[in-house]
Parts: sequence; C-alpha cells; structure tokens
Amino acid sequence: MISLRNVSKAYPTGVSALRNIELEIGKGEFTFLVGPSGAGKTTLLRLLFREEVPTSGSVIVNGHDVGRMRRQQIPYLRRQIGVVFQDFRLLPQRNVAENIAFALRVIEVHPREIRRRVGQVLELVGLTDRATALPAQLSGGEQQRVALARAMVGRPVILLADEPTGNLDPQNAQDMMKILLEINRLGTTVVMATHAAHLVDRARQRVVAMEDGAIQRDALAAAYHEEVSR
Amino acid sequence: MRLRTWAFCLSEASQNLLRNPVLAIASITTTAVSLLVLGVFLLLSVNVNSIATSIESQVAVRAFFAHQTAESQELAELQTVRGWQGVRSASLVTKDQALSQLKKEFGKQGQVLETLGTANPLEDSLSVTAQKPADVKPLAVRLSHLAGIVHTTYQSSVVSRLFALINGVRVVGLAIGVLLLIGSLLVITNAIRLGIAARRREIGIMRLVGATEALVHWPFILEGLILGGIGAVVASGLSFWSYVAVYHDAVHSLPFLPLVSPSPIPRDIALLLLLLGILLGAIGFRISVRRLARI
Ligand SMILES: Nc1ncnc2c1ncn2[C@@H]1O[C@H](COP(=O)(O)OP(=O)(O)OP(=O)(O)O)[C@@H](O)[C@H]1O
Ligand SMILES: [Mg+2]
Repeated sequence: MISLRNVSKAYPTGVSALRNIELEIGKGEFTFLVGPSGAGKTTLLRLLFREEVPTSGSVIVNGHDVGRMRRQQIPYLRRQIGVVFQDFRLLPQRNVAENIAFALRVIEVHPREIRRRVGQVLELVGLTDRATALPAQLSGGEQQRVALARAMVGRPVILLADEPTGNLDPQNAQDMMKILLEINRLGTTVVMATHAAHLVDRARQRVVAMEDGAIQRDALAAAYHEEVSR
Repeated sequence: MRLRTWAFCLSEASQNLLRNPVLAIASITTTAVSLLVLGVFLLLSVNVNSIATSIESQVAVRAFFAHQTAESQELAELQTVRGWQGVRSASLVTKDQALSQLKKEFGKQGQVLETLGTANPLEDSLSVTAQKPADVKPLAVRLSHLAGIVHTTYQSSVVSRLFALINGVRVVGLAIGVLLLIGSLLVITNAIRLGIAARRREIGIMRLVGATEALVHWPFILEGLILGGIGAVVASGLSFWSYVAVYHDAVHSLPFLPLVSPSPIPRDIALLLLLLGILLGAIGFRISVRRLARI
C-alpha cells in the first residue's frame, strides 16, 4: 500500500528532513510514527499525499509513484487518501454537515450520494445530533471528529493523521484514538504521527520511531519507548 | 464540469464579491468609466472622420488647361480622370461656364466684369472631387502631370487642419482610455487577490480532498468576468444608447451634419467595449493566478 525506497528529503532551506528512509506499510495496517520534534514525521506524511516531493528515492502510494506523477493526477491520488491535522482546518462559516459535504461537492459527487455518505460518517464519529452546528459551537474534540469525518467521507483507502490528538484533552484524545482504531478495523490503512505515549502504549500497534530524519526502530505491537526484555 | 459544479463556482464567486462590496463596486465603476471614455473617444473619432470626409469631398481639385487646348483632348482627359481610383466625380468646366459662375458669385457687383466685354481671361479646367480626404493631395499631384495641365489648386489648409484634428482626437482618446484601462485592471486584480486571500483555507481543503485545479480556479475566473463584464455592460449600453439619442436629435436639429448612423460602426464599438471589459476580467484573473498557485 505504501512503499518508501531510499527516500531522502532536503528542504530548499538546506535542512535535511529525511535520510535514506526504507519503509513498507501493508494494506489494512495501523502504524504510529513517533519521535522527537523535528524528527521528520510530518515531512514523511507530506510526501505520501504529494504535498512535497522526495529529493531522491521513490515513494509509492496505492500504486502511484508519487514523486514522478503528473500534476493533473495529484487530485486523483488525494481522493484515495484522507488527511487530518492537529489544527482541525474546518470552514468556520459552514456547519458540520456542510463542512463534511464540501469534500464531496468539490469532487462532483451526486447530491443524493453526498447526503447518504455524510449521514454515515456522522454516525461513525458520533456527531449525528450536531449536524447543523457551526464549528465555533463545538468543543475541540468534536471539531476534530468533524475533520475526521470529512477525511473519511470520500472513503479513502489510506488515512494520514498528523498529531490528531495534539490539541485535545486526555478524554477527547482517547475517544479520537478509539475512532481511529475502529476506522482501521473497517479496513482503512492508518498512519498516525504522534507524541502521545500513553495512546501508543495502550493501542499495541506497529511503531516506527524516527530521529533526525532516519528510522531508528520499527516494531510490531510495540510501545512508544523501546522495551528492553528482562 | 457538471452543471451543479458551475453553480457551486458561481456561488463561490458571488460570495467573494459580497464579502468585499466596496472593492467590487470600485472595480465595476472604474471599468465602466474607462471603457466609457474609450467609447466616447472612438465615437468622436469616427464622427470627426465622417465630417471631415464629407467636407473634404466637397473640396474640389481644379486642374487648369493651357490656353487654347483642344476640346477633344480635354474630353479625353476627363474620361481618363474619371477612370482613376479614388475619384468621386470629375467634370469639365469651360472658361465660359467659369465666367458665368464668377458673375453669379459677384452678384450685384458683377457689373465690374462687364468691362471685360467679350474677352474672357479664364481657362478651361477639370473640377475633380476625391472619395477620401487622404486622396486629395495625391490626386492633385497626379492631375498636374497630365498633358495640357499647367497648374492645379485645392484648399490644402482645410485638409491638413482636419487631419491634425482627427489624429489629435485619436491619440488623446486612446492614451486616456488605455491609462484608465490599466487602472481598472489593477483594481480588478486587487479584488481577485483579496478574494484568494480570504479563501486561503477553503482552497487548501479543496486541494487536500482532491478537487481539480479547474475547480479551484473557476470561482476566481468567474469573479473577474463578472467584475469586468458588469462594467462593460454599463459602458457599452450607456455609450450606445446615448449615441442613438444624440444621433436622432442631430438628424432633426442639425441635418447637414453627416454623423455616422448607429449601425454598424457605433454598434460594433459597443460590442468592442463589451469584449474589452470581459477581457479585462480575464487578464485580471491571469495576473492573480500566481497567488493561487502559492497557497
Ligand atoms: N517547509 C519547510 N521548510 C523548511 N524546513 C522544514 C519545513 N518543514 C519542516 N522543516 C524542517 O524539517 C525537519 C523535520 O520537520 P518535520 O516537521 O517533518 O518534523 P516533525 O517530526 O513533524 O516534528 P514535530 O513533532 O515538531 O511536528 C525540521 O528540522 C524542520 O525544521
Ligand atoms: Mg510534525
């Protein structure tokens, strides 16, 4: 599903954000990206939805060679990928349902189908009764769930989450984590960059630990910190 | 794109306009005013041209034959001149006709001419009028080279003054019009740029969820077309209908003034203004599109 071969990324500023990354993520996997600030987690995610191109190496996502794809193809890659960020990036003047529907309207889905799917994802994130609320009338946790619903309404095969719980209190963070695991259980490949050690420890999923742009550890059913066997 | 997607783009465009109504009105007004100025000068220019043509075609070139030129030769050359390009009319004025014309012009004072008795000091001549004012001078030169012609005259000062006036009107009008057009282009470009800035987040999300670049661009293209288009419709309509009014008024009160009839030329000028306004909107978008790429 996701395959990075000898990928390096240097920003125009000269910062070398990724160095010789080798990473394979299979269909249906749940993967945590962890590591200190500046390790390159966000950069790696940005390569996956073609927000950035690798300086060298190849990035293959769902069969697309992301680094070499033509500009006109980018929208079609992105329709297969859902993305959520630490800041929720909702449109303040549109209500919850409209925010979610927006993602389908701009890819020309039929209105009847939009209504059906918006109903489904609202149920998935537990916000059916807040459909007509404006983002400003929602708590942070609810706003992030709207953002998640918007990322999922296009039925992506991959969900990328960059510190999705970074702005949430512990309870909301745990609720969000539960929904992400549920989404993964339903078949979506999930890659989540996070600093939330307790969430990683409790989920027992694959953990890819990065430092200084390189992968330092890659373990299945792992914890946030390296576990030393006694 | 589907019809409902066009509707979406149009609603996004109109939201941009409503978000900043002062700038929208400024764009429309400056476009309308600059196109109107351009239109007025174009209309003025074609009419001055038409008036000049009519005056000029009344100015005849006179080519005088040498004394005692045979009438058959004179008639032959009259035929030749009639065949030339740019000649509206040509006629032979015998010295007898010239004399009686002169007597008529002198009127009561015509008695002075009686002193001539039967002698006639005048010569036969060709009176030639041109189709276009610009043809007058070359025509005079050409006539002077004809066999038997000793000299030619025409009222050259009228011609050159008219040309200077026409060119002056054209240059001044075009310069003012173009300057104003550049001004309104800047205002339109600014309006679109502000719209882009205000919709930064929305554009980011559109790209994130896989909207095509066409769909990202169209609301702003429409915004430009609306801004330029409304100004153009105002300028085009105003210039055309007020010209029609002036024209109909002039037909009655100043029937001798050869104004250009509203169709086809003034109508085409109005259409030109319309196209220019729309083009202005399109160029405004083209200039701001780099902002869009940077989001
Ligand atoms: N757009 C950019 N231009 C230049 N340098 C950048 C850019 N984005 C990130 N960097 C640099 O690349 C390196 C990796 O940044 P990145 O954002 O990928 O780290 P991160 O692991 O996501 O960090 P955090 O946990 O703080 O989000 C850092 O040194 C950062 O300063
Ligand atoms: Mg980051």
